[in-house]
Amino acid sequence: GDRGCDPQQGLTALACLAAQHFIAATACQEADYGWMIRHYCLKQFQLSMEDIGQRLWCDWDETVGTYGELTNCTALIAARLDCYWPNRLVDEFFVAVHKQYFRNCSPSGRALHDPPNGVLCPFIVLPVLVTLLMTALVVWRSKRSEGIV
Amino acid sequence: LFLSIQRIVPSLSSTVNYTDPTLEPVVTENSVIRQKIIDSQFKCYERMNRAPPYKKKGLFCNRTWDGWLCWDDTPAGRLTAQNCPDYFPDFDPTERASKYCDETGNWFRHPESNRTWSNYTLCNSFTSEKLKMAFILYYMAIVGHALSITSLLISLAIFFYFKSLSCQRITLHKNLFFSYVLNSMFTIAHLIAVVPNPGLVKRDPVSCKVLQFFHQYMLGCNYFWMLCEGIYLHTLIVVAVFAEEQRLHWYYLLGWGFPLVPASIHAVARARYFNDNCWMSVDTHLLYIVHGPVMAALLVNFFFLLNIVRVLVTKLRDTHRAESNMYMKAVRATLILVPLLGIQFVIIPWRPENRLAGEIYDYIMHILMHYQGLLVATIFCFFNGEV
Repeated sequence: GDRGCDPQQGLTALACLAAQHFIAATACQEADYGWMIRHYCLKQFQLSMEDIGQRLWCDWDETVGTYGELTNCTALIAARLDCYWPNRLVDEFFVAVHKQYFRNCSPSGRALHDPPNGVLCPFIVLPVLVTLLMTALVVWRSKRSEGIV
Repeated sequence: LFLSIQRIVPSLSSTVNYTDPTLEPVVTENSVIRQKIIDSQFKCYERMNRAPPYKKKGLFCNRTWDGWLCWDDTPAGRLTAQNCPDYFPDFDPTERASKYCDETGNWFRHPESNRTWSNYTLCNSFTSEKLKMAFILYYMAIVGHALSITSLLISLAIFFYFKSLSCQRITLHKNLFFSYVLNSMFTIAHLIAVVPNPGLVKRDPVSCKVLQFFHQYMLGCNYFWMLCEGIYLHTLIVVAVFAEEQRLHWYYLLGWGFPLVPASIHAVARARYFNDNCWMSVDTHLLYIVHGPVMAALLVNFFFLLNIVRVLVTKLRDTHRAESNMYMKAVRATLILVPLLGIQFVIIPWRPENRLAGEIYDYIMHILMHYQGLLVATIFCFFNGEV
């Protein structure tokens, strides 16, 4: 069942069908791999990104699914062509994709990270200062309640 | 403060099967893990795009994404390393993954498969021992807090039963013990209900964030009551020179009311900027919103106590000998406790690299952190001369 291509898989079926033409090659043919990911994976990705619309290309929540499919596609074709994944061509491919689609976006993905220092420092310094102020206040008030000013 | 426990204990369930030593990235089915990897991949290619090209002379290996981690341009003949990723439950992010760039300017290829290969074997090789130790520390923490609660409740009972003991200082002790009891209760609730329960963490109900909020609040209360004790002694000895009755309203405000401020600011900042599940992550500097004031309080307390000792030793030695002895005893107890309670904040960044020393460090830190209530009850009540 490994050689059959399930038509319901969509993108991956396309990759599967195309790869079957190259069964004869047993070792990894870099030129073929490069050609295939540009003609199958990239085309599908371009269509999806156009559907999403250029305005939303920098919205990671919108594009993560398509990006994941692109990654999957390159990995699948690598498996079919007996190439290991990732490799130098994948690096070049993705760098080009990023240059074209994500050039103006902020670099972080969805992982959580601290706010920038300009926001973080006031958040930390303020409670410390208020603490010191409050301590001074309590010391001063307990002095006064003695009648000693 | 549950650094290693929170990292490893939630992952009590499945570990991933890998074949050593050809540990290599494969496409996984688990969507949460895949999501993390895709995020890292995106960040990696962004970084590769934006970083300036390699400027130094000589051969080098090109920057690359190896499927799990991002590697920068590396000079030929060098072994580069970075921390292991945290995608999988049995990967320890404090271990190092390495990649070798050979003399010809190509990344190292594994001899068996002839594919470019990074060394992730250290990431999951010691995990079973570390898991065992994490369990030991976990149970130690629970036992510590349970012992603390018991001894503190006994002390409170002693203080309430024997009316002859009661004075203002004992009132402050009672409040301090009470805040320790509440802190231990919240910590035990957190350790038992949230930490070993990845399903709950995944669902991320509001109740576990509320629990964290109260946990941070009680932590603040603990240390601010210690500060109140220090301020009281300072006012008594240095300022008012043994006049007895002060009004305690301001102490109650500082001890119970004020810790709401850092805890609330932390909750707001966490919800806005670092809203992870159940606010469990300790990898954020936002925790200093609570720990900063606590450290400030400890520092101020320490200086007050030094000042008190100075006054007791120099000025009162000749004039009020009998009283100064009594107060010296009172100060001694507080002076012992403040460094003990505070030292965990000082040495926490310096965990030794050596494995054995690191384990000893972990045990000592856990004892210092979780047996504090027991220590406080012992020094202030059981070893108290008047009691």
